[in-house]
Amino acid sequence: MLKKYKPIFCFLIILSTSLAEDDDIGNIIPNLKIRLLDGSKTTIHELVQDGPLMIDFWATWCVNCKKLMKYLDQYHQDYKDDGFKVLMINTDTPRSIGKVKSYVRAQDYKFHIGMDPNKVISKKLNGMVMPTMILVDKGGEVKWRHQGYIAGEEIQAKNQITQLLERNLEEKI
Amino acid sequence: MKKKFKGKVLNKAYFIIISSSLILADQLDMNGAVNSNFGNSYGFYDFSENILDLNVFYNDLQGWIQYEYSNPPDIGFANNDIRKFRLEYSTGDLVLKLGDLYEFWGRGLLLNQFDDQVTNFDNGTRGMLIEYDNGMFSASHMNGNSNIWNMGADTRTPEFNNIHSMMANRIQYNRGLMSLGLTQLRSNEEHDVNFGPSVMASHNLKGAYATWAGGNADFFVEYVDKVSTEKVTMFGTIPNDTLIKGHGYYQNFNFYLGNWGLSTEYKRYSFDKAYGDLSADDYGNQIEYQQMPTLGKEQNSTLLGRLTHNYNFNDERGVQLELNGSLLGLSLTAQYAHLSRNETWQSVGAFDWVDKAIKGYLPSSDISALPYWENYQEVSGYALNDKLYFKLGRGSNKEILKTIRYFEGTQVDISSIDTSLAWVYDTLVWNDETYYDSTEVELYDTNYTSPFNVESKLWQQSKAFTIPMEVNYIFDNGYTVGIGFQYQEREKVNRSMGNATTFNASDSSWNMYDPDDYSNTYDETTSQLANSDGTVKTQYNRLVYLSISKAPKWSFTITHDMTNAYEASTAYDPYYNPLEALISGDLKYFTGKRNNIDPPSWIQNRWVSIEFAYNITSSQRISVMYGSIQGGLFCSNGVCRLIPPFNDGVKISYSASF
Repeated sequence: MLKKYKPIFCFLIILSTSLAEDDDIGNIIPNLKIRLLDGSKTTIHELVQDGPLMIDFWATWCVNCKKLMKYLDQYHQDYKDDGFKVLMINTDTPRSIGKVKSYVRAQDYKFHIGMDPNKVISKKLNGMVMPTMILVDKGGEVKWRHQGYIAGEEIQAKNQITQLLERNLEEKI
Repeated sequence: MKKKFKGKVLNKAYFIIISSSLILADQLDMNGAVNSNFGNSYGFYDFSENILDLNVFYNDLQGWIQYEYSNPPDIGFANNDIRKFRLEYSTGDLVLKLGDLYEFWGRGLLLNQFDDQVTNFDNGTRGMLIEYDNGMFSASHMNGNSNIWNMGADTRTPEFNNIHSMMANRIQYNRGLMSLGLTQLRSNEEHDVNFGPSVMASHNLKGAYATWAGGNADFFVEYVDKVSTEKVTMFGTIPNDTLIKGHGYYQNFNFYLGNWGLSTEYKRYSFDKAYGDLSADDYGNQIEYQQMPTLGKEQNSTLLGRLTHNYNFNDERGVQLELNGSLLGLSLTAQYAHLSRNETWQSVGAFDWVDKAIKGYLPSSDISALPYWENYQEVSGYALNDKLYFKLGRGSNKEILKTIRYFEGTQVDISSIDTSLAWVYDTLVWNDETYYDSTEVELYDTNYTSPFNVESKLWQQSKAFTIPMEVNYIFDNGYTVGIGFQYQEREKVNRSMGNATTFNASDSSWNMYDPDDYSNTYDETTSQLANSDGTVKTQYNRLVYLSISKAPKWSFTITHDMTNAYEASTAYDPYYNPLEALISGDLKYFTGKRNNIDPPSWIQNRWVSIEFAYNITSSQRISVMYGSIQGGLFCSNGVCRLIPPFNDGVKISYSASF
């Protein structure tokens, strides 16, 4: 029985591998509606009007997400004058959603917090693996995507952000 | 026939979406993800599950297809078909969704849908949703059907199928910092049960919620009222309707001051009640769409995760406080929760229990209300120019798991019966005159004791104390070394006390511990933990892991999980792997003299595994795990399941997004 479906399995792996080499880089990110932690609503395209946007998915129980958040908040503040923003999409369920704001306030984070308690946005942007970073250029073009976090990868994220900002600056000049 | 029809519909939908995609390919945006998991172990615990998600975006249209090939999956049924799909149309203020729906209203007291493949819990609806939202006012309507599978005795294959036909509505009004919502849900259900025919049940829920978000404080409150009509068909012939009413309330108040945040939560779920550790049958009570807050810490340490309280959504109240803050660059967390049932229970016979509502609103500490306490403190931070990360926690909890008998009251015994017969005549009194008939009857002369105090209690309780810690250091050359250690002490006992023991059903009285002196009492504790040497008072669990990683490419982790005892009912596990043999100095394992018939006793207490993860590209990751993993309770999204141990095997995981 297993042999019968092996070709399908292999096909899926090959398909994903071949597609993954190119990622969705170059695609325009869908204009999803997002409810922010303060109760207001926005869309992804509104957030990329002024400059690049780094999207990341997290939950209060995700240790690696918390380690990465510290750096992303730093980048949000360092490059805000260039129009760069960070959107942290929270996927806490009702079990822990009440503590999200408390945690964010305690860390004094300045980035935007989107709420996605039933993982609708995570599924649409393939952010089910946490953390997943998606770097989107001004206008909505996906430039970089990264799954998981190993200590030190924040430098890679920073390089991607600075390269994108430099390119945008050169094009502007 | 139904399955065949469903398959045809799915294939048709799949064909239409794929065909449309190809025709409109250059105008489409799409992304996808593949997740593949494969496992093969010595304990015949094998699985292969592969899931492909595709999202397609075209102007105001969005499509989603999830294809699964699993034979068998880690948990659930084998499948080689489109598992989920949805088509969405969104324009201006209007949203229309067709297909598999996952909605979340309020905090989930009325509706919270999710698909958790780790625990195989999926309460999504296949149907339609229409929503209008102009910012100030929104209205939603959804209806459809759900097939929700629950686990039975088998730890991998679901056993009970609950079929739902549902319809739900919501209106919400937003003004400034405040939102008000009204919700309604009706679900007609058919439930598989252990014995006999399916149970037909109908539920009608009405709810309201309000939220306000200010600068230094915010609050959320939600109330749901539920009326259930249960129809037991009794072999399909005799209807038996029973009306069950219940309600649920939840509130969350948060306060902020500077870098400190205090989160307070209160819940009171009262949909039905039952004595002891029994949860009321779910077909009459909290329904699967209701996935509400639990009021317990979602732990991310392995040992604390195994101690998760078995939340009772039908009958539980509680409070939770959590303080988060930062001081001197350190992140601090302190949490406390106290839960209990809504009633105390007294066993007034061998099988009869009566309840008494707990006064006030707070949870009780009375044993018969099955109280649960937990508290957790954590400090984490960075040092040495952010190269060193550390986390140190301390968690403790105590829980009354069940009461087996619980009585504290008074009893009156028969002290003597005069069995000498006194023959008297039946009498008849009428109009102040006494009449005697000729029939003689026996008259017993019975004496009773004075009322005396009786106490007979037997319950099961557990308590634990856990210290999780973790340290990571990033070297200048990009390598990171991490060490984690978790230590736990746990006790699980049966406790009995009082001046009476068991209940004598024939005499309808408690048997006194000392029949000659009722003031004599006993207080006994019996451990429920054991190992190969016999009963053990305290279980010591230790989990150590060491990881080495090099960003952004790879990480390697070795994990050693060890205990000195297990629950007395745990089945003996004869499998072990070479890593465990090496650590324990069992060289015979490698010289071919491995004793499979009578393996060393320590193998029941030790699980060792290694895992290598490699990032092929920034969006492709593969990980290979070899070794053994201890089975036990695993919880995700508030849904818990017992996972069997994974012995001497390989797990391969691959994930990619594109």
